[in-house]
Amino acid sequence: MRNRLRERIAIAGVGCSRFGDLLETPELKGLSIQEMTAAAVKEALDDAGMSGQDVDAVYVGNAMVHSSQLPATYSQLSKWIGTELRSGVHFEAQCSTTNVGAAMAAMAIASGVHDKVLVVGLETTRTRVKDLSPYEREPISHQMTWLWTDMAVNQAYQVPQGYDIFSTYNGIVALGYCRKYGIGIDDFDRGMFEVCRTRRLHGSMTPKANIQETLEDEARRKGYADAFELWRSDKDNPFVAWPSRLKSLVTTADGASAMVVTRAELAGARSQPVELKGFGICYRDLPWYDEDPTYWEGDRRSVDQALDMSGIKPADIGYLHTHDCSHISGLCTAELIGYIEPGKSLAYARDGRLRFDGDRPMSTHGGRHAFGHAWAASAGSDTYEAVTQMRGAAGARQIPKRPDIAVIHTHGYAMVGTTLVLGGL
Amino acid sequence: MPQAQANDSAIKIYYDGLRQGVLKARKCRSCDRHTFPPTTCCEHCGSWDLDWVELTGRGTLLFATHNISPACHPRFEPIAPYVYGHLRLDEGITVQAIIRGIEATPEALRAVFERGPVPVVADILVMDDLPVLAFRPAG
Ligand SMILES: [Zn+2]
Repeated sequence: MRNRLRERIAIAGVGCSRFGDLLETPELKGLSIQEMTAAAVKEALDDAGMSGQDVDAVYVGNAMVHSSQLPATYSQLSKWIGTELRSGVHFEAQCSTTNVGAAMAAMAIASGVHDKVLVVGLETTRTRVKDLSPYEREPISHQMTWLWTDMAVNQAYQVPQGYDIFSTYNGIVALGYCRKYGIGIDDFDRGMFEVCRTRRLHGSMTPKANIQETLEDEARRKGYADAFELWRSDKDNPFVAWPSRLKSLVTTADGASAMVVTRAELAGARSQPVELKGFGICYRDLPWYDEDPTYWEGDRRSVDQALDMSGIKPADIGYLHTHDCSHISGLCTAELIGYIEPGKSLAYARDGRLRFDGDRPMSTHGGRHAFGHAWAASAGSDTYEAVTQMRGAAGARQIPKRPDIAVIHTHGYAMVGTTLVLGGL
Repeated sequence: MPQAQANDSAIKIYYDGLRQGVLKARKCRSCDRHTFPPTTCCEHCGSWDLDWVELTGRGTLLFATHNISPACHPRFEPIAPYVYGHLRLDEGITVQAIIRGIEATPEALRAVFERGPVPVVADILVMDDLPVLAFRPAG
C-alpha cells in the first residue's frame, strides 16, 4: 500500500444539524429526514461558497435503513439538496460513515476523477417512519434500536449467542483497564464520573448538542446533594455492564451532517478550508481485541496509516476526538494514539486536562454521550467540531490555543477504526 | 449426530454441534491455527484449506461483566441481566460468551474480578429456539 494522496485535499465546508429527536427537539420537531439533512447540507455548501450543482459527486451514508426507509438516498435527496444529475452512491461504514466518506472523496479527487465531492450522513436512531406515512414518525424503543443496530454485528454467531455492546465495549474494557494499570473499581468509578462531567460541560456549551444540561444541573433538578450522588444513584445512573454505568455511554439521536471535500486550490476564498492531510481505515470482526481488552489492533493500524499519510506525530495533535460510545474505550484509543500517557486517562480527567481549556482537549462538543449519536451522521459531527475549533469559531468552548492539527477517530460498528488528520491549509 | 450434508452451512453444523454439547471449529492446514466459530476460510491467513475439529470446551475466564435488561436481543429477555465474559480457550482462542453460575450483581462480579482468572468449562445454554455457547466456572 503506497498510502499517499497525489493531491492536497481540503475540507471546504462543513454542516451539521442539531442532534436530538424529530418528534421533540425544538430545532428538529416537525421536520422530515429530507429537511433535516438538507439543513446540514445547506450549511456545508454555504460554508464552501457553493451550490449543489457545483459538486461532481455525492456520497450519502445512512446505516439504519430500517428507521429511515430511504435506500438509494442519493436520488431520494437530490431534489432537496440541489444535486440532480451528479454522480453518487449510498454507502455506509456505520458510525464511521461520514469520515470514511471523506476518505473516499479524497481518493476520488486525488485520483484526478473528481474535483468536488459532497459527503452526507443522516440517521434516525430515536424515531422511525410511522405506518408507511411520508411524513409522520413515531418513537423507537431502545430494544428495537439495538436490534436493528446490531444487525451490523456478527449475525452468524455473536448476536445470536448473547452479544451485548455494553458488555463488550464497556464492561470488559473497563475491567481490562483496571487490571492492567492496577486501578481500583471505586477509583475507576470516580474517574468515569469526571469524564462524564467534562463531556456534559462541553455539551452545555454546544448549541447543537443532544444534551445541553451539565451533570451538576441535572443533580440539582433531581434533588441530589451533588453531582457525584447522582452519579452513584442506581435509579438515575445504573450499572449497564459492571463496572460501567449508564452515563458512560452513548445517547441516541436523530441528526445529519455534511462536508464538501475539494482539491485544495479549489477551496473557495469565501470559505475557511482545512486540509485533510491523511486518513486510515481498518476493520475487524468480533472479538475486537485479543486477551488485552484495552489494545485494539484495528485502531493501531488505522492510526498508524493516518499518521504516516499525513506525516504528523502524536505530539503535534492539538485537538483529539476518539469514538466514545463507551467513555473507557475512547480513552484507551487516546492512549493508543499517544495523546494521553498509558494508564493516566482518569487522572487527566480528574485534573481537568481533557476539558476544552485543558492541555489535552478532547471531544469539546460533548462526544457521543452529550452531543449524542446519530450513527452515520456522527463522524461528520466530530469533524464539524474539529474544523470549528481549528477556525477559532467554537465560542464559549473554544480551545484557547487554537489547534493546528486535529485528529478525529471513530469506530464504525462493528468495527471500523477510522482516523482522519486535519491541518491548516 | 446425523452426517452433515454437502450443502449444510457451517453455521448449522456449529449449532447442531452445540445442541450435542460439542464445540465445532475449523483448523487451517496452512498455518495450523483455529477459526472459531467456524467459517469458510482461515481467519488468520485467509487459506481455504481447512479441517473440521472439536474443541475441548475448557478455558479461562479473564473478565466478567453483565449485559443490560431488557436484553438487546429478544431471545435473551428471559435471562437478562446475565453475566458475559471474556475468555481464553485452552486452544488459544479468544471468545466472549454468557457465563452461568455467577450472579449478575456488582458484589459477585467484584469478587470474580478480585479473584482473577478462573478456569471454566463449556455449559451450553438451550434457549427456546437455539443452543447457545456458554461457560461456567470449573469444579
Ligand atoms: Zn491459516
